[in-house]
Amino acid sequence: MTPPQAPHRPRPVAALVAANLRRHARDRTGLFFMVIMPFVSILFVGMAFGGGGSGKLPVGVVAEGSDPVTAALLAELRAHADLDVRAMTDTDDVRSAVRSGELAAGLIIGPGAGRLDLVMTQANGSGLAARGAVDGAVAKVAAVLEATRAVRAAGATAEEAAAHVRRAQAESGRVGVTGTATGSGDPGGFAYTAPANLLLFTFINSMAVAAALVESRRLGMLQRALTAPVTRRSVLLGEAVSRLIVALAQAALIVVVSALLFGVSWGDPVGVAAVVGVFALVATGAAILTGTLLSSPDQAPAIGPPLGVVLGMLGGCLWPRESSPDVLNAIGHLFPHAWGMDALLRLAEPGTGLGAVLPQLGVLAGMAALLLSASLVLFSRRTPA
Amino acid sequence: MAAMTAALACRGLGKRYGDLVAVDDVGLSITPGQAYGLLGPNGAGKTTTISMLVGLLRPDAGEVLVGGVDLAREPLRAKARIGYVPQEIALYPELTGRENLRFFGRLFGLPRRGLAARVDEVLDLIGLADRADGKLGAYSGGMKRRVNIGAALLHRPQVLILDEPTVGVDPQSRKAILDGLERLVADGMALLYTSHYMEEVERVCDRVAIIDHGRIVADGTRRELVSLVGGADTVELVLDGDVAAAFGKLRAVEGVSEAARTGESSVRLLADGGRYLLPSLITAVEGHATVTAAQVVEPDLEATFLHLTGTTLRD
Repeated sequence: MTPPQAPHRPRPVAALVAANLRRHARDRTGLFFMVIMPFVSILFVGMAFGGGGSGKLPVGVVAEGSDPVTAALLAELRAHADLDVRAMTDTDDVRSAVRSGELAAGLIIGPGAGRLDLVMTQANGSGLAARGAVDGAVAKVAAVLEATRAVRAAGATAEEAAAHVRRAQAESGRVGVTGTATGSGDPGGFAYTAPANLLLFTFINSMAVAAALVESRRLGMLQRALTAPVTRRSVLLGEAVSRLIVALAQAALIVVVSALLFGVSWGDPVGVAAVVGVFALVATGAAILTGTLLSSPDQAPAIGPPLGVVLGMLGGCLWPRESSPDVLNAIGHLFPHAWGMDALLRLAEPGTGLGAVLPQLGVLAGMAALLLSASLVLFSRRTPA
Repeated sequence: MAAMTAALACRGLGKRYGDLVAVDDVGLSITPGQAYGLLGPNGAGKTTTISMLVGLLRPDAGEVLVGGVDLAREPLRAKARIGYVPQEIALYPELTGRENLRFFGRLFGLPRRGLAARVDEVLDLIGLADRADGKLGAYSGGMKRRVNIGAALLHRPQVLILDEPTVGVDPQSRKAILDGLERLVADGMALLYTSHYMEEVERVCDRVAIIDHGRIVADGTRRELVSLVGGADTVELVLDGDVAAAFGKLRAVEGVSEAARTGESSVRLLADGGRYLLPSLITAVEGHATVTAAQVVEPDLEATFLHLTGTTLRD
């Protein structure tokens, strides 16, 4: 006769996660896009942004005068960690070198530094980064000049004024250094492309694995799973956790490898983990939504990645947002990538932590909650039982 | 009715979609060790009925008891006793046969420790022990079907529900599947079987229900169903001797409703309960001829099925 039922404890979440991860591990193309592509992208785009070679942006400088202000500006530029300042004499040489890409940017300092001409090409990441650095240096010199003028206006001699300003500079030295790092806008090189590609690939690859979910539905796997002694909720949870683990693994891989290989410093680990975790939830929600709405597994790779790329463009994952019009950036903030970028770039600044990115985290958490609940409700409705 | 608790029983099962009545007042009862066939044309309500029996679809009316446990009230306990083999091959093509079985083992909560051993047992049972580590996607149709069934056996269900389990398999695999099912039934498992292949149902099932337009139109043993149509057996005899005289005697035998000579030495008779009539037929021709060959052809389930459900195409 039939043996008595052993006290079985169904493990639907473990069963679904183990099966789904094994399925993804068998998908060679999928693995290539998860393990190789992000780093190829970080490397090449990072080099285009000026992250390769010495890590410094070559800037040609023509100084027409030798006055103290020009000297101060040159000293400031030479002291900048991201710039490789090359003294040049001919303005035309500078222009052609910038055009050919030999120089990231050029700077022509008029006599007395009364006039500054910045030479750069429009659509060039390293040019933008160089501009940021030059702006920072100019701002510092301008601040010193302004301070000196203010002190002299208050009745001090030139020597006294210089001494005052030097003392003030020394006192605020630490602040000054921090100001240089943050004052140059979005960082160039890998520091920009690593977070950009983390968001880009975490999202795109989450969308790509949605194909496996469509396939599970088409095969009748989910229906069959529901004939086991398990609740509907646990089957949904198993599918969601499977996708979340993929998203988290992708993000963790990019954080660790880019830190080891490209020396990217991500900032406060707690903050980064929080941002990445919430973004992975957003990606999971989007993946389940896609996996639920599509009816053929072939549609997922056709729709998911292009959508991921467009959202990445709007969010500044493909090029720095400062080169996009404001309207586009505003539209970008309707989607998760822009907020993720804001948060990760902010965390990369020294001295910031979880507290500095709470607004972005809040927005991302809201998006995640919205997407996950919508997708689970829909998923539940579309899986008949 | 039955002294022992039915492994699977339902009463008054009904489901409607708007104006369309998909299933209406369906009741059946399967005892342990019994194989029950459910036959019906496409769209008759078979799949809807099965979906309600396995807990995928909530019935509008009626109840389902699995080993006495109410499916609606205690779905997890009831489902743990059912093994369901869907019509489609619901398995992961990227995983191996063994990995697919392991998935279902975990899903049904087989103890971690015994899982590998139980998977091996089932692989043996479905005759795939030596191909277990190949990817399912590379299996033949018959192998996939066998894994599809194996996945429903891991947790040792009391009742196995199969929805067209042999679609698209070769005769060898079909024989292996049917042999395996007969062994399971002999070991005491209850079976609910649907198929379009009448000879499969005739072979495996000892009780059959015919469902049409959502209602069970006939239900009984194979013989009971066949006799419903008033089906007389056909008896074919080959005679040696005075065939004409013997023919005259044969058509006079009580129970023979029709007789015809089909050749020089052969006759065909239509008789109720032909097999029981055989001795009197042989006795009747004594002195005129001898019977050198006899064949009794019973009316088959297919004739009954077509009689009850009509011959109009349903697709």
